[in-house]
Formats: sequence, C-alpha cells, structure tokens
Amino acid sequence: MSRRLNSATIVGGALLIFGFISGYYSLQISAEADGSTGARTFPYIGAGIITLMGVLETLRGVRTAAAPLALTKRPVSIIGLMAVAIAYVWLITKIGYLFSTAVAAPLAMWMFGMRSPLGLIATAILCPAVYHFIFFELLGVFPPYGEWIDLLDILQGG
Amino acid sequence: MDILLGLATVFSSPALLGWVVLAALVGMVVGAIPGLTASAAIAMLLPVTFYMEPLSALAFLYVIGKSGRYGGSIAAILFNTPGTAASAATQIDGYPLSQRGLSSKAMKVATVSSIIGDFTGELLLIAGVGVIAAIALKLGPPELFAIYVAAFVVIGSVIGKSVVKGLASAALGVLIQMIGTDPISAVERFTFGSYDMLNGIGLVPLMIGMFVLAEVLSQIENRGKTIEQYEEPSSDEARARNRLTWTEYKPCMPHVIRSSFIGAFIGMLPGLGSAIAAFVAYGEGKRRAKNSEDWGKGALEGVAAPEAANNAVSGPSMAPLLTLGIPGSTIGAILVGVFLIHGIQIGPTLFLTSRELVYSLFAAGLVGIAAYGLIGFYGAAFVGRFITRIPTDILYPLIFLTSFVAAYSSRGSLFDVWIMVVAGFFGWMMKKLDFNPAAFVIAFVLAGGAEETFRQSLLLSDHGLLIFVTRPVALGFLSLGVATVFLRARALSREARAAALEDA
Repeated sequence: MSRRLNSATIVGGALLIFGFISGYYSLQISAEADGSTGARTFPYIGAGIITLMGVLETLRGVRTAAAPLALTKRPVSIIGLMAVAIAYVWLITKIGYLFSTAVAAPLAMWMFGMRSPLGLIATAILCPAVYHFIFFELLGVFPPYGEWIDLLDILQGG
Repeated sequence: MDILLGLATVFSSPALLGWVVLAALVGMVVGAIPGLTASAAIAMLLPVTFYMEPLSALAFLYVIGKSGRYGGSIAAILFNTPGTAASAATQIDGYPLSQRGLSSKAMKVATVSSIIGDFTGELLLIAGVGVIAAIALKLGPPELFAIYVAAFVVIGSVIGKSVVKGLASAALGVLIQMIGTDPISAVERFTFGSYDMLNGIGLVPLMIGMFVLAEVLSQIENRGKTIEQYEEPSSDEARARNRLTWTEYKPCMPHVIRSSFIGAFIGMLPGLGSAIAAFVAYGEGKRRAKNSEDWGKGALEGVAAPEAANNAVSGPSMAPLLTLGIPGSTIGAILVGVFLIHGIQIGPTLFLTSRELVYSLFAAGLVGIAAYGLIGFYGAAFVGRFITRIPTDILYPLIFLTSFVAAYSSRGSLFDVWIMVVAGFFGWMMKKLDFNPAAFVIAFVLAGGAEETFRQSLLLSDHGLLIFVTRPVALGFLSLGVATVFLRARALSREARAAALEDA
C-alpha cells in the first residue's frame, strides 16, 4: 500500500465523497419560495461539516504517515455473519418468522462455535418457538407473515 | 416533598418495585459481561417496555443504566477486562487486588463507593433539577439552539481520539435524522422515492443496530477468547481477609466524596459520561493521595475513587435530558425514545405536566441504587462466577437473534429490521475506524430539536443569523462550543507531538 493511501486518506476520502453526495441531494430538497431558511438548510449544513471533516482528515493522511487501514483480522466471520443477517431478514419476508428463525438460529450458533448436532437441532426448534411466544403471543406484536409460505398460516389453518 | 410522594408511589406498587429490583439484577449481570453494556441491554429491552406502564418502563431502563455502570466493576476486578468503558479505571487497582486474593474486598469497596456516588448524584439531581427547569423555561429558541450547538460540539470533540472524526460522527447523526418528511414544510428529504423512508429512521432500530448488532460483530472477531477469572482462595483465613472493615474503608472516604462531586459535575455536561468521570477522579485521587505510590498496585482508594465518580454521573446526566431535552449519554438518548413512545414531552414543561412521574422516577432510582447495592455487596462474587459459566457460543447468537425481533417489535415493520442491520454494520465500522457512535446517536436525537429552534429563531429575527450573537446567553453557549473545539484540538495536537518526539 502506498504511503499516501493510509487509514486517514481513505477515511477522509470516504467522508468527502459522502459529504459531496449528501450535499448534492440536499440541494435537491425544495427550497422555500421566498428563499428563506427552509427544509434544505440543516441537511446542507450537515453535508458541509462532513465535507470539511473529510478535507481535514485527508490532509492529515497526506501530511503524516497514518497507519494502513486494517478493519479486522477475521473478515470471513464478519462477512459471514452479515450475510446471515441479510439473508435472515429477506427470508422473514418470504417464509415468515418461524421458518426463517429455524434456519438463522443454528447458523448463528454454528458461526459462534457450537458444533453439537443435537444442540443445533434444539436451537432450530426452541428459538423460533420461544421468541414467537414472548414477542408475538405474550407482548401481542403482530408477526411478520411470509409471502411464499408461513408456518403460522399452516398452524392456524389459513 | 415531591420525592417523598415519589417514594410512596414506588413502595405502594409491588409491580413497580419488582421491576426496579429486576432491573438492578439485569443491569449488574449485563454490565459485568465483558463486551455487553447497559446501553445494549436497554436498546434490546426497549421494545418490551412499550407494553409497560410509563413509570415502570422508565424506572426499569433507568435502573438498568445505573446498575450496569456498577456491574462493569465486577468484570474489571475479576477478569482484568472492564465490563464497560466506565470501569476501565477501576481495573487499574482492582485486578492487582484480585491477584492478591482480595477480589471480594475490592468488589465490596466498589459497591459501597458506587452507591455513595450514585446516591450523591441522585440527591443533587433531585435538589437541583427543579431550579434548572425553571431557568430553562425562560430560554427562547435562540438560546436553546445555541445550547444544542454547544452540545453537538462538546459531544463530538471531547469523547474519542479524534476531534475530526467525532464532529463527523455528530454531523452524520444530524444527516440521518433529516431523512423523511420535514415536520414544518412537509417537504421530502433524502427519501429517494421510498414510502418507508417518509417516516424517517426510527431511534429504536438505530440504537439496537449501533449498540447490539455492532457488539455481536465485535464479539465474533474475539470468538475463542475465554474469560479468565483469578481464583479466590476459599479458606476461612481468605474469607476473613476479604471482610471489609470501617478502618480499611475510612481512608477511601475523602476520595469517594471528592469523586462523587467530580462525577456529578461531569454528568451534567452532555456527552462526557462515566468513563471520563472515572479517569478524571482516578487522576485527581492519585494526585492528592498520601499513598500515591501504591495506586496502580492494588490500592483500595484506587478502586473507590473511579467507582464513586462513574456512578455519580448517572443522576445528573438526567438533568439536561429532562429540563432541555438534551440527552447527556447514550442511555439518556434511549430514554428519549421511551418518553416519546409514551407520549410524554421532555423539556422544561415536563415539570409542569408530569411532575409526579419525574419524581417517582427519581425515587425509583434511589430504590434501585439500594437494590443493586445490597445485591452487589452480598452477591457480586456469585455474579462473577455465573458469568464465567455463560457459554458465549450461545449467549451472542441469542443476542443476535433478539436484536432482529426487538427491532421489528418497535413498530411492527421489517423496514426497521433492515435499518437495524445497516446500523449494526455501520456501528461496527465506526468503532473500528475510531469514529464516535455515542456522538452519532446523541446528535441523531438532538438534530430535530436543534433544527426546530434554529428555524424558530430565524422567524423571530429581523437580522437573520445575528440573533444568535445579540442574545448574551446564546452567544455564551456558542463561544463555549468554539472554545471547546479549539482547546481539544490543541490538546490532541500536543499529545501527537509528544508521541512523535518519543518515537524519535
């Protein structure tokens, strides 16, 4: 990695890009008819501060030899868990809460080191049941139903 | 008088009393688990409290915050890992005491000091909050906006290693709050045509993502690391050595009293929080101590000072929240959500509209301190042993799964769950890159009020932005913000130069 491409220049660059994009979209917000302070002022100030901080951070990176960017020593674990998280939410929309939790729970346990097949099976059954009981029965939250199929529909004879 | 009525309310309601005691226990356990914080527990439990009475909900979360701060000391003393950032200073002397087989004594000192600090902070809050609220009622939009600006700047620049990243975190929080429909003109902002975005980003999923999912991501990186406890000898002689006597605790008292006031003062300033209070109190205690050479090697005073300070923060940090609507900490930011959910408007008028509720909350705080004090004094060692037996390969996946259902439960919306997932990854990245998640969240909560007062001020003004300069109180707070950034940047620059010289 080049000496100039360090954590400060990368973070500063990202802030600059974010600042510019949010500044551009702030300008798309409708202005007041009389040109006075309106809905776009605060977003524009926020974007301006982020851009300014981006400039300062980039300059720091250029002037000093900041450390190279190193986010994690376990990228596979982080990406894996995020993939499970995204897949879990997507599955809830498609197959409902019970089925998706029965898939996500053992996966999450496995990622954190559980290897017992019995434990993983128990997790797949107990987690959806317990969470469903606490949140959707006891607290009365309306459960998210799946578009394709939903165990709750089947159980309720729907 | 109000507080006596509040105490009567608490003691006459067994259910409320039960929630307070349960909160004392939950907070202590959560605070003692390395990696888990009271903020994370509160964020996760927040949706559950929507279904409770307002006072029970607020008291439950408020006491979790208090006992969570104390619980961090258990991990610091027993495992050489601070359970919370606020207990990192306790670790300096707490763990050496454990190594000498005096962990129970250290935990008793931590407990007694915590409850003295917490009671001091709570009593100062009770005595002073009415006066602050009366003053706050006289402030107009320009003054309030200047206070918001000072809060943004202090929160962004004082915590963390980098002023630039701290201020950027606060600005990001402001921008994210702007998503949705403008409450004044009903103009859409950053919605990109999405119907879900019209209502803006919910505080609850954002909090759960930033403090719970982000922590689970951090924990998966540390997978395989086991919590190690220094085994305490269980002989009669060891038990006798671990008894805490008044003669032993007496030298701690001056440090506890001083640190309690340091913590209470820092608590009133938005955003500084327990960790800073604990380190300031530790530094000040060591400077004034007769036995300063023993500090860092297992001095009981070195445990007492930071513990009194970090718990004394709790009560006074509620003052800016209740009187001005400015949360002084992440826990305060979450409590804003509880007030809003239950339809209670925070700010100076709170003392006119919900006076009984406020003082009952303070009373619940006092009862909560006594509860965690009793549980901690007699059961902290047991809590420590219990934590070493919690299998992390089950605990963190369960927290992971709970974060999804908790985020969904806040508004029954899967969009909120997506927000939580994005916020979780974003929060993890922020921590990794030395940004400031606390500044981000507090700024997110403050931004709405700041924008409203800014626009109201300009409507009042005949000379545009000059209104902020011509009003002395507003000018004072704006100057405070500028001075804070300048002083903090100069201090960090000096530190960097000193480090560079050492390296050379």
